[in-house]
Amino acid sequence: MIKKGMLLLLLLALSLPGLSFVGAQDDCNFAEETLKIGTLMPLSAPGAVLSGEQMRWIILEAVEDINEACGVTVDGQNWAVEAIIGDSEGLPERSQAVAERMIFEDGVVAMAGVFHSAVGLATMGVMQANAIPTVFSEPWNDNVTANGIQPYGNAGARVESNEEGIDYIFRISPASSMTSKASVDWLLYLGVDDVVIVAENTDYGVPAADKDKELLIAGGLDEDNVDIFHIELGQEDFLPLIDRILARPTPPDAIKTQITGETALNFTNQMTEAGLAPNEDTICITNQNAYQADAYWSTVPDGNYCAFFRVGIVPALLTPVAQALNDDHYAEFGADIASFALATYDAVWLVTDAITRANSLDGATIALEIERSDVELSQGRYHFPYTTQTKSPLEDGLPAWMWHQWPDPAVTMMQFFRTGQRGPEAAVIWPPAYWTHDTAYIEYGTDPEAE
Amino acid sequence: MMDWWIVWLLLAGPIWALIGGVYIPRLLEPEEGHASELHEGDASYRLGGAAGGFALGPLAIGYLYWRRPVRMPRGWLTTSMLLGVLLASIVAFNLPDIRLAVLLWLLLAGPAWAIFGAYITPRRYRQLGLDDTQALMIGALGGFAAGPLVLAPLWYEAPKLSARWSSWLALLSGWQLIALYSFYARSFDDTFCFLYPGNVTYVSQQLINGINIGLIYALMAVGLTLIYSVQGVVSFTHAQFYMLGGYCSYWLLEIGANSFGITINPLFGIPVAAVVTFIIGAVFERLLLRPMHLGKVERIHEYAILITFGFGFFLESLVLSTQGPLPVKVGRYLDVRRFELVLTADRDRIIGPLRFLGDRTFTALIGLLLILALMYFFRRTWTGRALRAVSMDKQAAAVAGINPLNMNTLAFGLGAMLAGISGAALIPIFNFVPWIGQINAGRAYIIVVLGGLGSIPGALIGGVIVGLMETMGSGCLAGGDRAAAYKDVYGLLIFALVLLIKPTGLFGRERL
Repeated sequence: MIKKGMLLLLLLALSLPGLSFVGAQDDCNFAEETLKIGTLMPLSAPGAVLSGEQMRWIILEAVEDINEACGVTVDGQNWAVEAIIGDSEGLPERSQAVAERMIFEDGVVAMAGVFHSAVGLATMGVMQANAIPTVFSEPWNDNVTANGIQPYGNAGARVESNEEGIDYIFRISPASSMTSKASVDWLLYLGVDDVVIVAENTDYGVPAADKDKELLIAGGLDEDNVDIFHIELGQEDFLPLIDRILARPTPPDAIKTQITGETALNFTNQMTEAGLAPNEDTICITNQNAYQADAYWSTVPDGNYCAFFRVGIVPALLTPVAQALNDDHYAEFGADIASFALATYDAVWLVTDAITRANSLDGATIALEIERSDVELSQGRYHFPYTTQTKSPLEDGLPAWMWHQWPDPAVTMMQFFRTGQRGPEAAVIWPPAYWTHDTAYIEYGTDPEAE
Repeated sequence: MMDWWIVWLLLAGPIWALIGGVYIPRLLEPEEGHASELHEGDASYRLGGAAGGFALGPLAIGYLYWRRPVRMPRGWLTTSMLLGVLLASIVAFNLPDIRLAVLLWLLLAGPAWAIFGAYITPRRYRQLGLDDTQALMIGALGGFAAGPLVLAPLWYEAPKLSARWSSWLALLSGWQLIALYSFYARSFDDTFCFLYPGNVTYVSQQLINGINIGLIYALMAVGLTLIYSVQGVVSFTHAQFYMLGGYCSYWLLEIGANSFGITINPLFGIPVAAVVTFIIGAVFERLLLRPMHLGKVERIHEYAILITFGFGFFLESLVLSTQGPLPVKVGRYLDVRRFELVLTADRDRIIGPLRFLGDRTFTALIGLLLILALMYFFRRTWTGRALRAVSMDKQAAAVAGINPLNMNTLAFGLGAMLAGISGAALIPIFNFVPWIGQINAGRAYIIVVLGGLGSIPGALIGGVIVGLMETMGSGCLAGGDRAAAYKDVYGLLIFALVLLIKPTGLFGRERL
């Protein structure tokens, strides 16, 4: 009885989480072996599991689409692509171990995707040391790319870590400074002079909040009028902190969250429930998860009039590929697709495109081909203006994080103005070029589409 | 100049005190003919060496070593202590920031005196042939509370010590900590909790938040303690039953809305979750845990851990694969987002407005009522008494006509049901995801051990203590930018402290 029970449990447990996936066409004459591309995502707490699951789904979609197009061709031989999916749990030490296992046991030739800045920062050294070309699609921390040409912590610049001067790390998601600039520009345009930032206590949240503060002060705000509060990822109860903010002598003009995943939804819900924001006095700025509106409205029922930033092209300009992926995603999850998922899809394509052009599985050759990328994918045209084959961004007076960085990820601010709106229906309120309702902010309690 | 005083106070002084306290008695011992007298004076040399070392460093220790006095010179200890206090005062009064002085006491001087007290007091009592069972604790607490002001009378008077002394000194230490901290906290603009006239409302609000969330925590933990007390195993499935209870309520409300077009109050989700989780828990126990009690399994503790952990993993993956990763939540119990309370006297506001979030307050009441009902069940009903009997002595219970195996199944089912109820009660408040239990399980284990494994009142009190610690820490810690980030740490601090003083937990016992 016991053995049967144990066996049943074991079989069920093993059958649930798929660890690798190959979707292959029969008529492509694939090589016997597969070409393995690794990826790391949080599939367990304390990481942002919601985003990790969506990332896993899109990786499998990308692999299926690539294999339907006969995979990757090297020396005239078609290789089916296999995704090696690792659970980072959002933890740096765990992700390093998983990355090493992927390299030494699974034999991945490249990495694509990766969620959480802490994971990106922890694993980029492993990839560089083992010559694994990597395209990050979500880690935002500036140092992910800046470390290519300047030291970070105890690590020297990556281009100095090998004789050939090759940097294997690339990023197609925005750097933290890019998103901070967009949202701070918007806040300054609105004329706020007292801002509270609630940020997760991670390698993403801490520098992002500091950057926000730096830009707000540079924009004319008094240092005492920009408060930062840190919270822990996975935390559930925020009422003590919310009461602390409520106890300020005057309410802040805006509350900005720099939190990822479901933790952001929990915080926003409790903030709205306690009456902290949104209201006539205080603007609510929540995480881009709000774009996935079904989950947002079911978890933040009082979240109307909250603004949120969105990375990626505005909904009206979605490419056909992105629109098709969005439809599939909506069917799968009941939510519109997040930009990091589209970026992850593109990252896999970008890597396989470089391998095909390199006609080689050598890491250095692939990395040099990624530098030369000029390809149109779901989020736009990917290219890297600052590489070992061109010049340093410092020469153009640009920050170091522009190194190996896709320069064009769009960052917009959007805002709900009706309860239950889908993400694409929300108003685009920043930058002015994309305004959908001729305003930078929809006042609390109003409806710009009302007669 | 100032920096040298600080270096002495923080680094060189304590090091010389340690050298003096530990080595002076040993250095003096080899002198033949003085052995018996020196032995009698061992403790006084220890204290004298430490105090002299702290005050004058190598000068004092060198003097004691070269002179090798048979008795400690008259006034040596008092002079050394006065010099030490003078040194500390000079530093304290010259510090650029009073916060530094408070921090110095909290982090260095207080703990150092506590260690010194814990070291010297039991030895003094043993030397005098007195009962030293409370001496270590009282020396440590007294040292922390008031340093030499408590340790010196203890040394000279050596009064009879009792548990009451420990309690009073623990209170004094607690008060000392709060007073020092509040003094420190006044320097921060964003700290509203301490010694500010007019902040009664804020402190009351945070206390309400703490008790509120504490009752909710207690509800999560109480099932765990029930299973342990009857079965003797820690269930690692508890977190997943909590998650499952929440999802049962969610599914009920979804079916009502989508299939029948009716809006069901989440209150009705609670009994549904209770039934489902009870059945799953009881069936699981009957099929997979009972063999353990029938002697069909070797290494039963390892088996219990693995089987409960494995089943929990299975439940979580099952919900993830069927429901998906998107967070879910249900509507409100009450159509009131929040309400406020103002206490007035003669039209003057005393406290207020205090904000109560409708659903949280309602859930806390549910938790309190359930725990009270559970206590009634265990004390007043036959089945409850039978469960208690099994938790006390299985064989004796069997002799009295109670089937321990059935009671095991019932206990596990009830434990699972309580976890399920807490999940169903909380889904209107927190977003639920299939892995939500992982986040809460750790806290539930802490509460259970803090309150005492197997004690239901312990789970209740433990939950409230952890809730209060987390809330007051997040709401009151100075320099609030990180206060909320370390929320989980505050509960662990009190947990560690309680285990140090009372390793069995507050109400520790192995039966209900």
